[in-house]
Amino acid sequence: MRSNPLAGRAGAWLIYLVVLGGIIGGLYVATQRIDYSWNWQRIPQYLISNEGQERVAPFDGFVAVAEDGHSLTLKEMKGSRSITIRDFDELLVGDGDLVFENDPLARKRGLVAGPLLVGLWMTLKISALSLMAALVLGLLIGLGRVSRNSAVSGLAATYVEVIRGTPLLVQIFIFYFFVGTVMELSAFTAGVAALAVFTAAYVAEIIRAGIEAVPRGQMEAARSLGLSLPQAMRHVILPQAFKRTLPPLAGQFINLIKDSSLVSVMALTDLTKAGREVVSSTFSPFEVWFTVAGMYLLLTGLLSYLVRRLEKRLAHD
Amino acid sequence: MTESQVLIEVREVGKVYGNGVVGLRGVSLQVKRGEVVCIIGPSGSGKSTLLRTLNALEPISAGEIRVLGESVHDPRTDLNRLRARLGMVFQSFNLFPHRTVLDNLMLAPRVVSGVKPERARERALALLAKVGLADKADMHPGQLSGGQQQRVAIARALAMQPEIMLFDEPTSALDPEKVGEVLDVMKVLASEGMTMCVVTHEMGFARAVAHRVVFMEAGEIVYEDAPERFFTAPANERLRAFLGQVLKSA
Repeated sequence: MRSNPLAGRAGAWLIYLVVLGGIIGGLYVATQRIDYSWNWQRIPQYLISNEGQERVAPFDGFVAVAEDGHSLTLKEMKGSRSITIRDFDELLVGDGDLVFENDPLARKRGLVAGPLLVGLWMTLKISALSLMAALVLGLLIGLGRVSRNSAVSGLAATYVEVIRGTPLLVQIFIFYFFVGTVMELSAFTAGVAALAVFTAAYVAEIIRAGIEAVPRGQMEAARSLGLSLPQAMRHVILPQAFKRTLPPLAGQFINLIKDSSLVSVMALTDLTKAGREVVSSTFSPFEVWFTVAGMYLLLTGLLSYLVRRLEKRLAHD
Repeated sequence: MTESQVLIEVREVGKVYGNGVVGLRGVSLQVKRGEVVCIIGPSGSGKSTLLRTLNALEPISAGEIRVLGESVHDPRTDLNRLRARLGMVFQSFNLFPHRTVLDNLMLAPRVVSGVKPERARERALALLAKVGLADKADMHPGQLSGGQQQRVAIARALAMQPEIMLFDEPTSALDPEKVGEVLDVMKVLASEGMTMCVVTHEMGFARAVAHRVVFMEAGEIVYEDAPERFFTAPANERLRAFLGQVLKSA
């Protein structure tokens, strides 16, 4: 064994680095051949920009600037509303100007989140909310799957089949155009609902498998002590099932973060949509998409790290 | 109060499984307060099935079972309340692996009977001392030997202060050298006057502790008698054959 230098730990790392370097080098050579000019320096401003924050007019009206130039008042043209802004560094309008809704009034200097970071925040919000909803819904449907009442288990099984048998993108369209219209949902709510409904089907199957993996004797012992079915589920079966389902659940939630990129087809500026917008203003698709991919990787990596820590803690109990 | 004397009344109970296999056939049995009844028989004879019908872990197809004055298989019976009064010990222990030994004992009293945590803890510790495991309170079941786990399981059942204890082959999954410690705990229980139904292969225990021994074969109760006559001069050919086989292999 000793004679082979690649057999050891260091050897394995060497192979890893060589292959990885090869892939990156290959990519570089490939872009050289299509004569692509890399403009990485354009990317940071879309993460964090120092252009400052613009204050825009909330309604149509006339501007009045104070004598000292440090405060600005907007009076509504066709109403009696008025606002006064003091917190700015640079004035973008003059005294007596007529401005319309969303026109810039003033700018405050300083660092603000660029479109990519704002998109990342949106992705994070959508994922976190649909994750929580999917957990609750998936738990209910998973419990329905193991119910002895065949009406309940049949309904749960149908849900899982229908959702798993249709593409997520199609479901998002249905939620956006049909459910969203009928129930007057915002794009955000429709997006979260579509992702939650989709993920819940997979969560349900994971939870069903987890429950069925708990030995039957556990339920018998709990019931023989006088625990009701819900009590036995809550105190005996689910805590044991949860431990077993943690790894597959984590995988499903990482999928959820990635799947959330599909809601960019709705009028939602998530990370992917923000990426598309930045591409159209920079004409640097390679840099932008690599950056966007890296940001997704950051999110999913963080999640799997947290889950691994939770798993370790549970393993000690 | 004859009702309080007969705690278990099994009348003409039959059980047929979904696939047509007959599990029990016209079984009748009475157990009085303070009695220890051992059920023996070859595997597949229905003795575990019979025991499991007593707290409705197993449904029945015919007949009636009354336990502590209640009809066990009547849908109107509050099964959870009845089961709380009936302790059960399983062949495979079935301790809750995600909880400590102490929590195993405290769970049902707290959740089912609403006992205050301090009181439940006090009682659990006393029971652990009784089965000789006071020092294992904070361990998890996986850290205990089979014999210790089964003693915890007995303590867990006792924590509900049951009026009857059911034992389903409590020593069959144990290493031979661990059998004694579990049987010793059961002997103490019997000596305290606990009403017990014990499905077992431990002939020595049955002979020493039981007030009555029941022999089952092919889903039927073939013979029952006091232990002296049961083991020395049974008036039944099939039981003699069974005992002959068991004692020869022992």
